[in-house]
Amino acid sequence: MASELQLAQASGNDTHALSAPRQAGPAAHPIRQLQPPPQQTALCIEPRELWLAVHVPGLIADEQLVLKRLARFAQRFTPRVSLEPPDGLLLEIKGSLQLFGGVQRLYRAFRAACVAAGVRPIMALAPTPLAALAGARAGIALKVLDESQLVGAVAPLPLSGLRWPPEVLARLAKTGVHLIGQALRLPRAGFARRFGTEQLASLDRLVARSADLRLGFQAPERFRMHRSFTYEKEHHAAIVMALTPLLEELGRFLQARQCGVTEISCQLRHRQEPHTSCVVRLAASEADAERLIEWFALRLATLVLPGPVRGCVLRTGLLVPHAPAAGSLWQPGEHGGGGHAGSLTFIERLRARLGTAAVYGLQVQASHRPEGASRQVALEVLGAKRKSPPLSWPGMRPIWMLATPELLSEISGRPQRNGPLQLRDGPERIETGWWEGGEVARDYYRAIDAHGVRLWIFRERQAPHRWFLQGLAG
Amino acid sequence: MTPIARLLEHPAIWRGRNVGQRDTVSTGFPALDARLPGGGWPQAALVEILVTHLGGGELQLLLPVLASLTSRAIARWCAWIAPPLEPYAPALAAHGLNLDHLLLVRTETAPWACEQALGSAACDVVLAWITRPLPSRAVRRLQLAAQRGRALGFILRPATARTLHEPSGAALRLSVEPADQGARITILKSRGGLAGTWHLNFN
Repeated sequence: MASELQLAQASGNDTHALSAPRQAGPAAHPIRQLQPPPQQTALCIEPRELWLAVHVPGLIADEQLVLKRLARFAQRFTPRVSLEPPDGLLLEIKGSLQLFGGVQRLYRAFRAACVAAGVRPIMALAPTPLAALAGARAGIALKVLDESQLVGAVAPLPLSGLRWPPEVLARLAKTGVHLIGQALRLPRAGFARRFGTEQLASLDRLVARSADLRLGFQAPERFRMHRSFTYEKEHHAAIVMALTPLLEELGRFLQARQCGVTEISCQLRHRQEPHTSCVVRLAASEADAERLIEWFALRLATLVLPGPVRGCVLRTGLLVPHAPAAGSLWQPGEHGGGGHAGSLTFIERLRARLGTAAVYGLQVQASHRPEGASRQVALEVLGAKRKSPPLSWPGMRPIWMLATPELLSEISGRPQRNGPLQLRDGPERIETGWWEGGEVARDYYRAIDAHGVRLWIFRERQAPHRWFLQGLAG
Repeated sequence: MTPIARLLEHPAIWRGRNVGQRDTVSTGFPALDARLPGGGWPQAALVEILVTHLGGGELQLLLPVLASLTSRAIARWCAWIAPPLEPYAPALAAHGLNLDHLLLVRTETAPWACEQALGSAACDVVLAWITRPLPSRAVRRLQLAAQRGRALGFILRPATARTLHEPSGAALRLSVEPADQGARITILKSRGGLAGTWHLNFN
């Protein structure tokens, strides 16, 4: 089982003799504890680094959030965490052994944290990151605490754990080389020539012949600021005034990092009533404090507050890289001017006041039912290259489409709307959707009402053969 | 050349019909272009359209200009503010509108959103359905916003006895009534043009 530690070494050399403060009785001298462990002999070379590889089987590139979440809490165990996308994580734990009370305890604590987070990883320990990774990817909970035993421990591992290019692995397999040990025995010069210097360098890093530098993982920054007011504020304008310094601070914070935000939320605290939250979602990242204040004020103006506000907490979503927009030489609307760059302010203003969902675009969507062919989309989606369904149909299609068809009254079998309707073209029979429930069987007609307004109406094919209004030609 | 024509060529004489906007964009209907000053819809101005019946041809009248403005190489937004019903994307695309530049706004405060859209310089054309009474001051504000943002604004309002006769700050004002195979268009006010009623065939 993966969770059981497979001891790839003699248990005699216990590296965590350094730690284990629990063994120290009250009489023991604390200084002695920091001495090198007495049982370290020439036979045991204590590694300078100890890497814990965490392999999450089955994690795909889409689930990088899981990996990042794992990395964030791995930072509780050690400051040196690096991501090994798509499914791995590396922790350098040598420096943390004493704090956590030894390898075994740290290992168990980390494993418990992973399980609590809903991930069941395979973990391996080795003095080099690649060795630990190769072990974890092979499904073996390797535990190598002695650098002199590293080569022996990794030798039986399959080469596939190193994630070399498939063609290199295939070529190696043709020569009968499947295991790391076999590859290590090949002559260096020949190996480099036949399988690439990159692969040779990777073998060197694996057995600690050369250093393996890893890019550290940095948890994304967020902004959070709290403020209690000296007196309760009852007016929107006063709240905006009080929030202004916070938003200006946020602006400086973002500018210093060349970042922007796409979401800021402010929790307004009342004396007894539950908190009110005011969330501004932006179409594009923004770092300018003045604009943030403007949109915040607009958003706030739409909220009805249950009571006076005593304090507030300003929080941002993830920071995203932000480049200030470049101005155009031309004014918008002039010859050569235009484009959507300058239009974001306007959209943000509308969204701040009316809500994000109130501003949207339309897209054509392949659908068998006429009313399903039009879809509301967020503005960010527009302009993306996509295959558009063909725009051809036998009859007319109205510009205004009713979301739910309107029942028309009937006099002696003729549909009525402001008087009898004249049927022009038709019928266009649409009989579809039976395979997914909601079957429609309708005969569509173009019709003109008494005022001359052109309509698109249909008659049900099944009894009771009612007439419905589906759309207006515009 | 008659003496009166020679006299009118004098540069000191300004004639009313030449004061209208020079920048125009074709309506897509030659018959309508011929009757509008400058030969089309004025650019950077407000056009007020009074609609007797919803769906009575007002969109058929505007679709050609929307199609030509949204399919330009550098197009700005085409904003529809507070449309009374949900527009149907395939039909718009079939009329040549580039849906990538179409922006819809659902709002109770159509005049505010319309002013924002017109004045923001982010829109080429703005359609706003305003059902509530609109004071002439507000119309004037919209007209100024359209000039500021160099946008072509259409406000669509119900044609009632009151709206048909109120003064308006819009550059062009017309009413649309459904008619057989087209619409009856009445120009109520045209800065630098002529008023009149005639039948426009959409086909």
